[in-house]
Amino acid sequence: MAEVEIRNVRKAYGAVKVIHGVTFDIADGEFVILVGPSGCGKSTLLRMIAGLENISGGQIAIGKKVVNAVPPKNRDIAMVFQNYALYPHMTVAENMGFSLVMKGVQKAEIARRVADAAGILDLDALLARYPRELSGGQRQRVAMGRAIVRDPQVFLFDEPLSNLDAKLRVQMRTEIKALHQRLGTTTVYVTHDQVEAMTMADRIVVMHKGVVEQIGTPLELYDRPVNQFVAGFIGSPAMNLLSGGIGEGGFVSDKGLKLPVTVQGHGDKGRPVAYGIRPEHIRMSDDGLPVRVSLVEPTGSETQVMVEADSGETISCVFRDRFSATPGSTIRIAPHPNLVHLFDGETGARIS
Amino acid sequence: MNRPVNQIILIALLAGYTLLSLSPILWAALISIKQPIDAFMPTLSLDFEPTLEFHWQVWTEQGFVTYLRNSVIVAVSTVLISLSFGTMAAYQLTRMSAAGSRPLLLGILGMRMFPHILLALPFFVIAQTLDMIDSFPALILSMVAINQPFTIWLMRSFFADVPKEIYEAAAIDGCNAWQTFYRVALPIVKPGLWVAALFSLLLAYNEFLFALVLSGPNTRTLPVGISEYGAEDITYWSLSAAAAIGITLPIVIFMVLLQRHLVRGLSMGAVKG
Repeated sequence: MAEVEIRNVRKAYGAVKVIHGVTFDIADGEFVILVGPSGCGKSTLLRMIAGLENISGGQIAIGKKVVNAVPPKNRDIAMVFQNYALYPHMTVAENMGFSLVMKGVQKAEIARRVADAAGILDLDALLARYPRELSGGQRQRVAMGRAIVRDPQVFLFDEPLSNLDAKLRVQMRTEIKALHQRLGTTTVYVTHDQVEAMTMADRIVVMHKGVVEQIGTPLELYDRPVNQFVAGFIGSPAMNLLSGGIGEGGFVSDKGLKLPVTVQGHGDKGRPVAYGIRPEHIRMSDDGLPVRVSLVEPTGSETQVMVEADSGETISCVFRDRFSATPGSTIRIAPHPNLVHLFDGETGARIS
Repeated sequence: MNRPVNQIILIALLAGYTLLSLSPILWAALISIKQPIDAFMPTLSLDFEPTLEFHWQVWTEQGFVTYLRNSVIVAVSTVLISLSFGTMAAYQLTRMSAAGSRPLLLGILGMRMFPHILLALPFFVIAQTLDMIDSFPALILSMVAINQPFTIWLMRSFFADVPKEIYEAAAIDGCNAWQTFYRVALPIVKPGLWVAALFSLLLAYNEFLFALVLSGPNTRTLPVGISEYGAEDITYWSLSAAAAIGITLPIVIFMVLLQRHLVRGLSMGAVKG
């Protein structure tokens, strides 16, 4: 196990810069998830930690040792790929033991370690099979087994669940989390799925266009997003963001919708701001804002409702209680005043 | 028309086509067991006294076995050399950037653009200058030269199907460049190796022009040898036919033995494991 230090790391392909100076630390045994929309540089950063991409600038250290010029095999890492990348001509056992064979480990020791890993991942019955004889979920487990057998300093996961169906994805999410709790190995995990990030990570690194937007625990990101991008990216359904400005007695949207604001230090009247409220932080209230229901999506445990204000804004709400209104009817809603987020209209930075 | 009738018609058509394709071989087989007097009949008569006399003659008296040995030496050496170099080259060409590999691939293909007759003369001059006429190395190297573009291009298509993450996994698992090729890439494209081996073998085994120009009494291969069978003799037809059947025999045996691998190789792109 080891900590990972990323210092002002940059990546450019010719003149195209894809990562612009990223700096953060991953503590020993921590589960860190890099998340962001596609093209944000998260996979590239992971591949630089693995040694599969050259580092154009800055420094990466694993366990205090700078690895910029160290080839992948000497970095003491293991990686799980999105398409599993199992060797098709080797059995499950051979796939899992291959790195040990290359290291020259004794046969008996390899067999013991493969059996141990197979036991952890429930692969005992599949050891003699070939990858083509396995289901997607089983292949995924073999790929993880291959990583575990090495007993590396750091696990790297590159969107490992993207090729699985929804149900299996949830199941594997739990398994990976449980595995991390059991082994305690430092883990860096890349995904574009913010639900995966929220449910699995100790800390999340939100990336966008090659820079880190925010680093924090899932709840820090949820409660206090530092800017409009993080606010919109973290949380499902996404936060309502209305653009407008500070007006008399609170926020006034571009279309004229007036909402009260309790956030301190929002500045002078006329300052352009974005008003953010999460759908689950809106409640029904008899003295609230009258809005027209346009769409109702019950999921059983909660109901997602899209409503339209008289001024024309569309707002999404999530209600825990059973919801009886039908599209076209009018309800009254009120944002929870203490859970409103304000962002600067020009920079997108949080105002607080 | 319903389905079974369609099927029957399809099978009948395919059977007919197969028979048509095989007819020259069947005809040659018939001629090879006929006396010259029957062989010269213009109709395909089955009313004759079959004889294995000419087959016997071919295999015992006409130097066929020596030619066969020469052919095997040339063909097998060609396969071994062109396949090992071709496979390594093809692998590296798929690992390079497209910008780097494209000019090389087109250059390699250029070799195939020339008609063989154009190359035969320079090859002869080179071999003569080096005093290598009637030597196996000259024959084998000329076959490798014309065969190499094909093996490289064919193997390249098999390597191109290997996802790059497999190589990355190998790099993380501790393979160096050679081990990645030998322990990971090569076993994955093994079915392709059989296909490339078969086609190279056929090319070298059947090659006539270079063999004619570069071989001599010590290195004469089967196609050249057979062509010189008793041209003015009355038994010419029957002997040639018997030799033609003889020359196909090793190939048929080879294909039957390796059928499983070949089918896998030919259909590899279609069913990814």
